[in-house]
Amino acid sequence: MSLDQAEPAARAAAGSAPREPALRGGGTAGRRGRSRRSGRWWTPWLFLAPALLLFLYFKFIPMASALTMSFQDVQPYLGNRWVGTENYATVLQSHGFREAAWHTVVLAVGETVGAMSLGFALALLMEGQSRRLGFVRSAAFLPVVVPLAVVAELWRIMYHPTGDGMLNSVLGLVGAGPSGFINDPDTSMASIMLTGIWRGAPYDMMIFLAGLTSVDRGLYEAAKVDGASRWQRVWYVTVPGLRSVFSILFILAAIRGLRVFTEVFLLTNGGPNGSTEVVMTLIYKLGLEQNRLGVGAAGAVLLFVATLILTIIVQLLRRRESK
Amino acid sequence: MQRSRWIGAGALASVLILTSCTSGAAGVDAKQNPKAPLELWTRTTPGGPGEKGALQLAAAFEKATGYQVKVTAIFDDFETKLQQRAAQKKLPDIVMNDVTQLGTMHSQGLLREIDLGKIKDSKQIIEQGLKSGQSLDGKQYGLPFSAQASALLIRKDWREKLKLDVPRNWDDFAAMATAFTTQDPDGDGKNNTAGLAAPLSTKRGYASWYFSNFLWAAGGDFITEAGKGTYKPAMTTAASVQAMQWFRDLGCKAKAIQPGAVTMDTPPTNETFESGRAGMFVVGPYLLPRFDKSLGKDKYEVVPMPKGPKDATVLAEGGSVYLMAGSDNQAGQDAFAGFAVSVEGQKKGMEGATGYTVQLPVNTAVDISQIRPDPRWKTYAQAYQDSGRYAPSIPNWTPVRQVTADAVNALMADCGLDINAKLGELDKQLADILKEQGIAAS
Repeated sequence: MSLDQAEPAARAAAGSAPREPALRGGGTAGRRGRSRRSGRWWTPWLFLAPALLLFLYFKFIPMASALTMSFQDVQPYLGNRWVGTENYATVLQSHGFREAAWHTVVLAVGETVGAMSLGFALALLMEGQSRRLGFVRSAAFLPVVVPLAVVAELWRIMYHPTGDGMLNSVLGLVGAGPSGFINDPDTSMASIMLTGIWRGAPYDMMIFLAGLTSVDRGLYEAAKVDGASRWQRVWYVTVPGLRSVFSILFILAAIRGLRVFTEVFLLTNGGPNGSTEVVMTLIYKLGLEQNRLGVGAAGAVLLFVATLILTIIVQLLRRRESK
Repeated sequence: MQRSRWIGAGALASVLILTSCTSGAAGVDAKQNPKAPLELWTRTTPGGPGEKGALQLAAAFEKATGYQVKVTAIFDDFETKLQQRAAQKKLPDIVMNDVTQLGTMHSQGLLREIDLGKIKDSKQIIEQGLKSGQSLDGKQYGLPFSAQASALLIRKDWREKLKLDVPRNWDDFAAMATAFTTQDPDGDGKNNTAGLAAPLSTKRGYASWYFSNFLWAAGGDFITEAGKGTYKPAMTTAASVQAMQWFRDLGCKAKAIQPGAVTMDTPPTNETFESGRAGMFVVGPYLLPRFDKSLGKDKYEVVPMPKGPKDATVLAEGGSVYLMAGSDNQAGQDAFAGFAVSVEGQKKGMEGATGYTVQLPVNTAVDISQIRPDPRWKTYAQAYQDSGRYAPSIPNWTPVRQVTADAVNALMADCGLDINAKLGELDKQLADILKEQGIAAS
């Protein structure tokens, strides 16, 4: 705020001859207001400047340089060399890229659907005002707060592949198992998905809970009067009422799913036999482990484009639906 | 109004462009200043014993020569951080890192050649160590200051309980692994032990790293030299296939490798051994202090690896001193490299129970048993000297390690996989990598 803007307010606050100065102050503010609106176009920008500067230096400039790096053979000391689309070719033609892309989609769809349905079920169960529910809700939210590295280690212990492993002894009670879980190429993907759902569902639950409060209570009562069963009430009242929540969650979960890295990296690193290799772990191997930053940048740009396209498609679908 | 807005935006943009371009223009041939403090980066956990060891070494060097050294310990993303400094054209003067990093750093132009004539005691350096610091064209770009090799750790109490001898060949080895798995060596009445602890995850190429001990002892190879600095893939040779088959049988048929090995990197594998769930572990000497503490010195023994179909070759590794390009104190760089491999520097580096920077000395004039009377160190030194073998210094070893780790991991995880088909596929991948690096034999 500039000094002359502060002045009338300060004079008013000082309280000397309250009426007249206030009137005068009001008059000048009105006159100046127009000139300010037309002349000082930069005032809003000034307020935004701190955030914009941070974004610029820590987001936009790095993003732009990642884009340039993706067309270069990055050799910081000798000087980067333009290689055109060679880096993109390296990523796209790399051994196992197609499988990794497929695994990513499977994992993203599985985790999104699983986490959303579980989150929705949890939200329905935990909706309400009771104080005890607040405690249960916090407890259910814990997996989101725990660092992923800890989560991965916990699940590694639970997934121990012999009969005395934690989950395997539970399976043993019902006469199944022992399963290799993350150590068996056939079950590794499902195991990682389960960990992801366990971690993601409470987050979805919270957003659903917030959405549920906006559903009109009267609609439930009206449906009840009309003789709708419990399930019919959920399907015909709650679900349509949460449409916008669903689409936001879907975008968030899909983006999260496409970028899935940490749990795969920590639990299997793409193994066994490449059965859980996803795009991000592949990019990490090609770009960072081999110290070829240009290739890594190209992979990141590809992933960004994929996410962008997905978001745009969802937005278009939403717009069409609302029309 | 419109114009002023554009002027403002233009001014902002030019300021940004200016600030983002201030790094640049630094000489590769910097003006020399023998008094400039040397910046040393070492790949070890900050605040850990490794950093203390490096600081001790630096202090001894300062005292002996009068140069100044500033030590920085970095562990995570060491290579990426080095790239960032390279982008600023302001590399540290000295880097202490793994010998296998030579190819990558050299091909990025980060290293300057080391003139062995300026290194005191360079004639006393163990020859294979010296060679590990040479690039493909035979020029010296790294100077090893520490070496290590693998040896076999055995649960002595288990071995004695089952009345077994120390294994002398692969048959003994397999028999002991099977016995440890099936005969309940810890006597708790449960079937919860395995013969061999093995990190077979693909992470950082561990599966390949571990398997190399067996592959080379069988006479096999990942890639083999084909003259004039060229290489060809070698994973489908009879010896390589035999080694893979034998190792695979250990896991798939005898079930003698710890369950879950295919998703384990080193930390959980170390735990497997120290918590008494596996009886053997092929590993370097750096884990001895840890196992002495967690398991007890009397519970396990260190023996040389048993002889394979060909010999007892084991993986040799170590750390090198790299002199970085663009330093303004080349005399200081040379002096540090010289000190690190000198008798005095090696002895200093081996001091302490945990914080040592030197595992096995590279200077032939240093007798390890004088500094470390513990005979287990002698075993390691002997293994390194007689059977140690480094990974070849090709431009970039990492992709070779990655694809071989992927294949080993696949064959160990999926016992139904066709071994010949998988190794054939691997050979094709290796051929592509060699071609990309320009070292494929035609």
